[in-house]
Amino acid sequence: MALKPRLEAPKWVLNILNNIYEIEQKLLLHGDQGNANRNVEKIKEAFLSEGLFYENPFGQVFKETRTDLDASISGDSTENLVVIEVIKPIIRFGKPELSQVVQKGIVVVQTKEEEITL
Amino acid sequence: MSKMVNFGIDLGTSNSLIAKFDKGQVEVFRNPNGFKETLPSIVGFRNDRIMVGDSARIFAEKDPKNVASRFKRKMGTTETVKIYSINGTKTPVELSAFVLKELKNFVHSGESVEAAVITIPASFDTAQSNATKEAGIGAGFKHVVLLQEPIAASLAYANKEKNIDLRNSQWIVYDLGGGTFDVALVKIVEGELKVIDHEGDNYLGGSDFDALLVEKVLVPEINRQGTFVDLLGQMKSEKGKYNTLWHRLLLLAEGVKIDLSTKTSGEFDLGMVRDFEDDNGNAIDSLLTITRSEFEELIKVAIDGTAEMMKKILTRNSLQPEDLNFILMVGGSTYIPYVRKRIEEIMGIPLNTSIDPTNAIAVGAAFFAGSKELKAEGSFKKTSQNKHQIKIRPVYNRNSQESEETFNAKIEGDTTNLFYRINSEDGAFDSGLKVLASRITEDLPLREGAFNLFQFRVFDSQNNVIEVGFDSIQIAQGRYSVAGQMLPEDICLVKDDLSTKDTRLERMFSKNCILPTKTKFTVDVGKTVIKGSDDEIRVIVVEGPAEKHSSTNKPIGILLISGKQINRDLLKGTEIDLTFEMSESRDLTISAYLNGTGQDFSQIFNGKLREVQPRILASEILHLEAKIQTEIDDAIENNNQETAQKLDKLLSQVQSLFAESDILSADDVTDDRYKLEDKKRSLAQEVFHLTSSKRLDVAKADYLETKRSVATLVQGSGNDRELHQLREILALEQAFIHSTNPERIQAATDSLGRISYQIRMRMPDFLIGMFEHLVGERTSMNDQIQAKQLIENGKRLVTSEAWDDLRQVNGRLWDLMPDDERSPEDTRLYTNIV
Repeated sequence: MALKPRLEAPKWVLNILNNIYEIEQKLLLHGDQGNANRNVEKIKEAFLSEGLFYENPFGQVFKETRTDLDASISGDSTENLVVIEVIKPIIRFGKPELSQVVQKGIVVVQTKEEEITL
Repeated sequence: MSKMVNFGIDLGTSNSLIAKFDKGQVEVFRNPNGFKETLPSIVGFRNDRIMVGDSARIFAEKDPKNVASRFKRKMGTTETVKIYSINGTKTPVELSAFVLKELKNFVHSGESVEAAVITIPASFDTAQSNATKEAGIGAGFKHVVLLQEPIAASLAYANKEKNIDLRNSQWIVYDLGGGTFDVALVKIVEGELKVIDHEGDNYLGGSDFDALLVEKVLVPEINRQGTFVDLLGQMKSEKGKYNTLWHRLLLLAEGVKIDLSTKTSGEFDLGMVRDFEDDNGNAIDSLLTITRSEFEELIKVAIDGTAEMMKKILTRNSLQPEDLNFILMVGGSTYIPYVRKRIEEIMGIPLNTSIDPTNAIAVGAAFFAGSKELKAEGSFKKTSQNKHQIKIRPVYNRNSQESEETFNAKIEGDTTNLFYRINSEDGAFDSGLKVLASRITEDLPLREGAFNLFQFRVFDSQNNVIEVGFDSIQIAQGRYSVAGQMLPEDICLVKDDLSTKDTRLERMFSKNCILPTKTKFTVDVGKTVIKGSDDEIRVIVVEGPAEKHSSTNKPIGILLISGKQINRDLLKGTEIDLTFEMSESRDLTISAYLNGTGQDFSQIFNGKLREVQPRILASEILHLEAKIQTEIDDAIENNNQETAQKLDKLLSQVQSLFAESDILSADDVTDDRYKLEDKKRSLAQEVFHLTSSKRLDVAKADYLETKRSVATLVQGSGNDRELHQLREILALEQAFIHSTNPERIQAATDSLGRISYQIRMRMPDFLIGMFEHLVGERTSMNDQIQAKQLIENGKRLVTSEAWDDLRQVNGRLWDLMPDDERSPEDTRLYTNIV
């Protein structure tokens, strides 16, 4: 039994979702005086109603078994990796309870710095 | 008919592909774990797993002790690759076999790959060629045919352009990929394609151009804008301050390089980079532009170098460029316009770009495979049958609240030389190949609130799947778990219902829904709230059956927004975005965003406490009293004395609550408010019970009457679509007419009403009647001059029987009616959201 071929979303749809993600991140970083994030949310909801949604894996654990991320490793260690930069989010198609990856997230990962406890 | 090889494999230094010839066509298979046709030729051994392709590539640079890459160059040598995690070594042949075995997984039809044509560089000697063949046999192919890469590319071209006569031709195959460059002179000698000469560079390709972009363009630009001590050094050093930026820029560079193939400039957008500043804390521009000519200048030396290699070949073979028919461009980097332009410029002969440069070698190999008869020579054994007598006894939780669940299994039978692999169906997890032992264990990541499906497969040493009678793992996370917290009752939003001049409930969360949960609604403001006034918006959430009335259900959260809190008037009809969240401990968060004023309001209501505000309670009692009064009037009118008497008793009980309500202060700390709310709710439930049969009767009568009139209308003047709509409603009649829910019956009546309206709007009598009614209302219209013009126009249209135009005039006249005329509902609203 072979693995099913992956579903593919049209490139222009992925392109729009990637740009919405970028807008969302820029608003988060540089402020949202015009309340544009509400529009971003509404656009995301419109895509969600058609089964397309994205996820930001920032801060998540990265292991070699994850095939929803295309990672570059920063630093010299390859253990206890976490996502520290998200260039493109993971895009999925389906319902939140049953979906498939249609775009791998493109991320930079790095070994998690241990918290110093006093 | 003899069986053909059919499968062609491009076993590349950086990437590999597999394609199949079938009935004259070639299909290039896609990577099931990616969204591309290529598989990186990289093998990793980490944490007891064997990972091939993308997962291994991620670790190739940083964990070279456990990840092997570029081993193709070592084929045919005695050199081995030391792998620290397995405390052993792997030969290049073994590593290549892993890549070939992984490529079998690409064949989605599930058919076994018994034989293949595998391509090799023109430079491969006998030892290297034999090693490649050995790798193929090791991967389980019973027949391996080798084919030189330039020949494969030429075959892809020849099969695409079947009408071109290539007899006595010679050409150069120029192959510039992601990491290697090869060039070969190909000639047709006595009807056969032959590689006459070749050159190459094992360390030149597209990834070098990405690094050049960052190093030679971006870094100097960033240096110009800020003050850095050794920026490039800090970027390239693993422990450097800017090492993360190096990786980010390399990823962006690849995208910009692709952009520059179609545009004259590209942008590095660093707007998403946090704290992008120099050593002194000064911000750096987040948008850096590079022009195509800057990029071309960067790669010029490298491209000129490739042209030099071609010239060498020509010199060695006493040829002039014009002796060649064309230069066949292969490899992803030949998409770069400058590569094409520069090579054509230097060589002065036409380029051939008619084949897909990324998969041409695999396609050519498959065409060749389609013509080669299959002859068994390897040690292929048909092992897909379960001769190992393997039995899997899995143990795992089918429902889980965790983010990861351990899958355990006991394995019975002979597990020697067998492997297993688990992949998630959503494409997010791959265990890699793991040795099958008598007990296996694997931590499976679970998506929150989702149904997680995994595929379990057992493989023999040649990567053939063995049927073991167990192939699927299913784990429901969170919401599907029976252990999850479930809602005992519906949770509803109270809204004003203008048609009944009452409130109605809209279900937000259904009974038995698993917590936590969240939903969003957009509602409209029912009546303008003036800034500074005491008017308010009430977002009331109640617990109880959605088909009942708000007064009968338990209030669990009320978010009040008054005119004193808003920064400008909130106009009727503007939208309010409402978000409701309920935590596992049933804390309710109500958030409202007023689109009209741009303000956010939010409040959390404790799940263990009931939300009863004395002021709201008082108004609810008042509302209940008015409702009972109306019902009594109704009952008397319908000569239903018994109900009227019972309602009368309830009325006096409700009125007695006024006194209790009056003495409650807004900050009352006793539980009096809850007792009072209980009494009110119990009375409301009795009213609801007493009147439910009446409301049902009214709804049924209304439905039957509407059905009769609409059926007549459809029969006389309806079209096919309207007849179909009517039939759809009637088909469901038995389901709603016997329900105890008047709202369901009312919804069907409304649907019938819409059909009736559609038909009437086409009927001249109705349009004329409507026009005459509007003419009668002229004096109250908002714009008298416009009204006059429209009425005169309407009269002309009636005479000329232009019904479509008259419909439009009616619409415009209707728009001129004052608001209270257009919606003559009682403007006293309870929640002010509709």
